[in-house]
Amino acid sequence: MTTTQHTLLSTSLGTAAPSKQPTKPAASAPSPAKSAAPQQVTQRDIENVERALIDQSARGPVLTFFTTGIFWLLVSVVLGFIASKKLHVPEYHSSHSWMTYGRVWPAYTTALIYGWCSLAGMGVATWLIGRLTRVAIQAPGILQWGAWFWNAGVAAGVITILGGYNSGLEYFEMHPAAKLCMFIGFLLIGVWGLILFRYKRTAAPYISVSYLVAAFLLFPLFFGSAAALGSNTSMTGVMKNVVNAWYQGGLFNLWFGCIGIAAAYYFIPKVINRPVYSYNLANIGFWSWVFLGGLTAMTKLSGGPVPAYLVTISVAASILLIIPIVTLTTNFVRTMKGHTANMAYSPTLRFVFVGTIFFSIAASLNVLSALRSVDSYTHFTPWAHGQVHAMVLGFFSMVMFGAIYYITPRLVGCEWLSRTFIKLHFLGTAYGGATIIALFLISGVFMGFTLNEPAAVEQPSGTAIWNFFNVPQNAGFCNAVKTYIGYFFFGIAQFIFAIHFLFMRLRIGQPAGEPTLFANPGEAH
Amino acid sequence: MEKQSTLFTGIFGAFIFSCGAMVLLPSSQIGALQPQVTWDEGQNSPSDVYPVKLENALGHRPGQAVYVENGCFYCHTQQVRDPQYGPDMERGWGVRRTVARDHIFQSVPLLGSTRLGPDLTNFGSGTWRNEAADDKKAPAKRDAAWIYKHLYAPKSNFSDSNCPPYPYLFERKDVGGQPSPDAVAVEGNHQIVPTADARNLAKYLLSLNSSHELKESPTVIKPKEAKK
Repeated sequence: MTTTQHTLLSTSLGTAAPSKQPTKPAASAPSPAKSAAPQQVTQRDIENVERALIDQSARGPVLTFFTTGIFWLLVSVVLGFIASKKLHVPEYHSSHSWMTYGRVWPAYTTALIYGWCSLAGMGVATWLIGRLTRVAIQAPGILQWGAWFWNAGVAAGVITILGGYNSGLEYFEMHPAAKLCMFIGFLLIGVWGLILFRYKRTAAPYISVSYLVAAFLLFPLFFGSAAALGSNTSMTGVMKNVVNAWYQGGLFNLWFGCIGIAAAYYFIPKVINRPVYSYNLANIGFWSWVFLGGLTAMTKLSGGPVPAYLVTISVAASILLIIPIVTLTTNFVRTMKGHTANMAYSPTLRFVFVGTIFFSIAASLNVLSALRSVDSYTHFTPWAHGQVHAMVLGFFSMVMFGAIYYITPRLVGCEWLSRTFIKLHFLGTAYGGATIIALFLISGVFMGFTLNEPAAVEQPSGTAIWNFFNVPQNAGFCNAVKTYIGYFFFGIAQFIFAIHFLFMRLRIGQPAGEPTLFANPGEAH
Repeated sequence: MEKQSTLFTGIFGAFIFSCGAMVLLPSSQIGALQPQVTWDEGQNSPSDVYPVKLENALGHRPGQAVYVENGCFYCHTQQVRDPQYGPDMERGWGVRRTVARDHIFQSVPLLGSTRLGPDLTNFGSGTWRNEAADDKKAPAKRDAAWIYKHLYAPKSNFSDSNCPPYPYLFERKDVGGQPSPDAVAVEGNHQIVPTADARNLAKYLLSLNSSHELKESPTVIKPKEAKK
């Protein structure tokens, strides 16, 4: 098991060309080959040293991305707990202006989406670039600077939202200055990341490369044009909302979707040491996802004051999402076939594979809620929040956790301290996250039924009560469970994870070499 | 190299297609909408213009900033849909569906996406209601005083309200003779009165009205019918 975790899958990731361009050795790089006698050096030893050097070159920026990302994760779970509690206890700390639902909720989504998810995603992407191009990360300082600019932008965004600034555009509420700061940060990261792909020395590009290039090319285009148009005073009226909806499609489907799928395509074959089931399916999945992903978002404006064909295009594109969903799911499941038992041992595999299941669920929810009959019960309800959370908490965060469990030991030189911590983190994330998602969806459907009911309902007391007013009680129970079970356990799990990660940064852990698994292969099963 | 250029072209193609269909095309269609002008033939001058450009150079009323800062739009939508999409009009939220032209002078239309509270598109129209048409518990008038009560203690207007209270939009002042008519509470020598922000917010809410007739969106419910 330990060897499978460490072996490079040369069949799927291209063969090495070690003679070309020697990589600059990093001072602190561990080199297992040094201890071996020169005549015994094999191809595998060379590859191991190379990989260690490449990992070391990515160490600085990747650890910065992870550490700051996890900081934002903690901020977001606290804010998320408060925002959820405000829904069933509206009076909770209401005398503080920054604690009102209308500020805590956007601060929570901003910290979650732009803080945790984007930073973790860029960290994993940076590390993957090194591994996939098989070249050390050049000038990692550029990426570090990018990370700090991005962090400064997110911090400014979250603080100004709590202080009372809001752009009025959902999932894009930050102050224009904060957006500019984030954009500069992203340009440093994204442009340099794309340039790094040029240094590649592998024969055939792996499917993860396509997804990463798509994410790094498309995100600045969506983010930049949405930010420019959003602060443009000459553009008024509902075009602002149209651009914002379009941007959300790019953000969730193409930015988080592409990075998450790239990571899943790397880690699943890597851990089970088996090539991807079908390359053709992978390609079909990629192109259909990239073309459809940017077209699905207008369903959230259905019935609104926008041209009807926008919604029609999005409904059609959402239904066509069945193609990437089926191809991606088939590919992941068929690759895993016969190897699902490995999930009992490998934390990375368990997190990433469960993440891909959540991907299928999240994308299927997109298809489902595009249908007019479903939309009429879910429109204007927290169902949409459930969709977003399935994408960013269920799918993306799970894949990122799996990736971080794999990458961090290779950067800090020791293994995770405690398998119990990892187990608890998995339980809290999977079940807490699923509770949050499910209750958003369920309370959405509850609300949808009452919202669709125009008539006053005769109450036992004889007075007619307008049905709409019953919505808070219907959803109140869901919200209470979401707060005290969903967000509570999800949050506890993230604090355990953060402490565990802090131990790794302080090099408190198991000795390097033997990965920390849920169980040693001999012990159980 | 061949492969890489295909990848880049394909991804750019996807972006251009998405941007063209979702941004440029609608922008060419509704990006430059003008107000509806009705001409008075006799006087040869416009007798009626809708919507009217807002007085404020910022493109919004001062109260709208308070509405946005406190995130009211996360629970209150400002869009009335056609009857085929839902019973918005039957609920008394409007007499016709809202269209793009209603929003042309708003810098950021606050359409909203979640209805944890009622829709406010026509809150200031005078016919807006959020209870059954024959509900005896309905307030006689939803005026500034009603809004202040709602902001200070939402449950005092409706016991099941899910809206958070906004005590920070109010301040404590000495009564000094007669209590202010806007005071939401009087405690001994002190009274709780709305701040300038709360007053602006009330003014903004009472100005919300998209029930003016528009050619592209015929009135579904006649105002009289809605009132009864």
